[in-house]
Amino acid sequence: MNNLQVLAIGLGLAGHYALVAVGFALIFATLRIFHIAHGTVFITAGYVFFLLHRAQGIGLLPSGVFAVAVAALLGLAIDKAVYLPILRRGGGMFSVFIASLGVSLIFEAGFLAYTKGVVSVARTGMLDILTAGSVTVRSLDLAVLAIVAMVYGLLYLWLHRTKVGLEVRGLTDNGPLAAVVGVNVDRTRTHIFLLASALAGVAGVLTAYDMGIGPDTGTRTLFVAVVAVILGGMRNLLLGAIIGSVALGILTAYAGFYFPEWLTFSVFITMILLILVRPQGLFG
Amino acid sequence: MEHLLYIGSLMCVWIIVSVAVNLVIGYGGMMTMGHAAYLGIGAYTAASLNIFLGLDFFSAMAAAAVAGAAVAALTLLPLLRLSGFYFALATLGLNFVFFDLFHNLAPRVEGSEGLHGLKLPAALASADTRFVTTLLITVACILAARHLVGSPFGRLLRATRDRPEAVASVGKNPTACQITIWTVSGALTGLAGALYAATLFYIDPTLFTLNASILMMVYVGVGGLASIAGSILGPVLLIGFTESLRFVGLPSQFLGPAQQGLYGALLIGLMIFRRQGLVGKHDFRE
Repeated sequence: MNNLQVLAIGLGLAGHYALVAVGFALIFATLRIFHIAHGTVFITAGYVFFLLHRAQGIGLLPSGVFAVAVAALLGLAIDKAVYLPILRRGGGMFSVFIASLGVSLIFEAGFLAYTKGVVSVARTGMLDILTAGSVTVRSLDLAVLAIVAMVYGLLYLWLHRTKVGLEVRGLTDNGPLAAVVGVNVDRTRTHIFLLASALAGVAGVLTAYDMGIGPDTGTRTLFVAVVAVILGGMRNLLLGAIIGSVALGILTAYAGFYFPEWLTFSVFITMILLILVRPQGLFG
Repeated sequence: MEHLLYIGSLMCVWIIVSVAVNLVIGYGGMMTMGHAAYLGIGAYTAASLNIFLGLDFFSAMAAAAVAGAAVAALTLLPLLRLSGFYFALATLGLNFVFFDLFHNLAPRVEGSEGLHGLKLPAALASADTRFVTTLLITVACILAARHLVGSPFGRLLRATRDRPEAVASVGKNPTACQITIWTVSGALTGLAGALYAATLFYIDPTLFTLNASILMMVYVGVGGLASIAGSILGPVLLIGFTESLRFVGLPSQFLGPAQQGLYGALLIGLMIFRRQGLVGKHDFRE
């Protein structure tokens, strides 16, 4: 294994993070909701995909599409059933954050009881491998990166070419003002949760297919995505999320290769130092 | 009977922790999600000094309180410039940082992931004396905390929570007040860590993860913020309830998930319907 190989692995990881991070950033920047349960949405899609594809033998694509749909609806349901009632009763950011933690605890407990903690992998058979010089790249990683590029491209068009996208950007800049000038916050909110959760669902399906999942995979992935978002900053949603994800992918790949026992430490020390030095993110 | 005494001791440990956490969240208005780190520092300090250096356990317990206070103060200082949500997020990060520190650097008994083989004095050696001693220490901690929040310092603390600028305008230092209460909280948590080790006989890093910090938040939140009585009620009710699940015959492999699911549901219910908890005098603001 040489440095370039580790870098290639890091970019592969970055693809997974980027899909989770951009949805989290979208929700946090527009609605000020620290959506820990975004990790739950992500992992639920993974489990649904696993159940359909591996356990029931249903095809790759229909299982994946169904899992993404479940994720999108789950994210919306969490907002409607948990976050909105809290906000309506005068709760604030902390209350929503704590309740979000509660949601992820419940789902994690469910998966724990269901799988007894066993990691499940959906992928069967070997993956195609491409070799370029001393670096080998898995075709799946290239597919993930292609999906990420496509998703980010579509998100860019959505944010900058549609009316809802304009409203989303308005909310990011100044929520109360956006509402005053006639942004339909409720409808925009629904769009945001559906879209962000669907993207988490795509990431969940890919992760379940590629690396396997366990009950705590969701929370772990989410925290890495959170650090990525903090790193990239939220002034420019897409740019911040992708830069943060790439940086975190490379960081975790190198840390995991050279000193795996300090992997978590390096991620969260980075987060704490970053919050202390530049809470607005490196590019905020 | 022995199991009941064990549960009693466990309740006592979590009462001390809940009181310590409530001092900072409820009375001080500083959202902590990282106190599991200080619990671990206390447990590891007491167990290491006792097992490897042969220090008697009560001295080791005192050292655990000092270590808890010192680490709490040291980790707070850089975070003081943060406020509100970013402060909470940074303390949450502390869990993960300290988990790796415990996992990679803390001493362990050969052939295991953690520490065991405590040399306990007679007052802590058998289940019944251990419960009585733990209970006495817990009562002492509760009385001390009650005295603290009822004192002029307690008033200053609540004023710092609600109106820091008003505290500063009458010539008091809100930051010093926050450092003081955080350090006291760290000392209590460190002490509880030592008792936790004595109750469990065995400690390893997995006891001191984010899950432990979430547990503290559930106990304090259910009991109620800014209420010492609430911090007694929370752990007693919840540990009592989840342990009773064992007696009604829930298979043990579902006990953990059932408890975790219940705590999750409690957090959601609290935040929607009763943010001040059962007997709290303050709620989760913002």
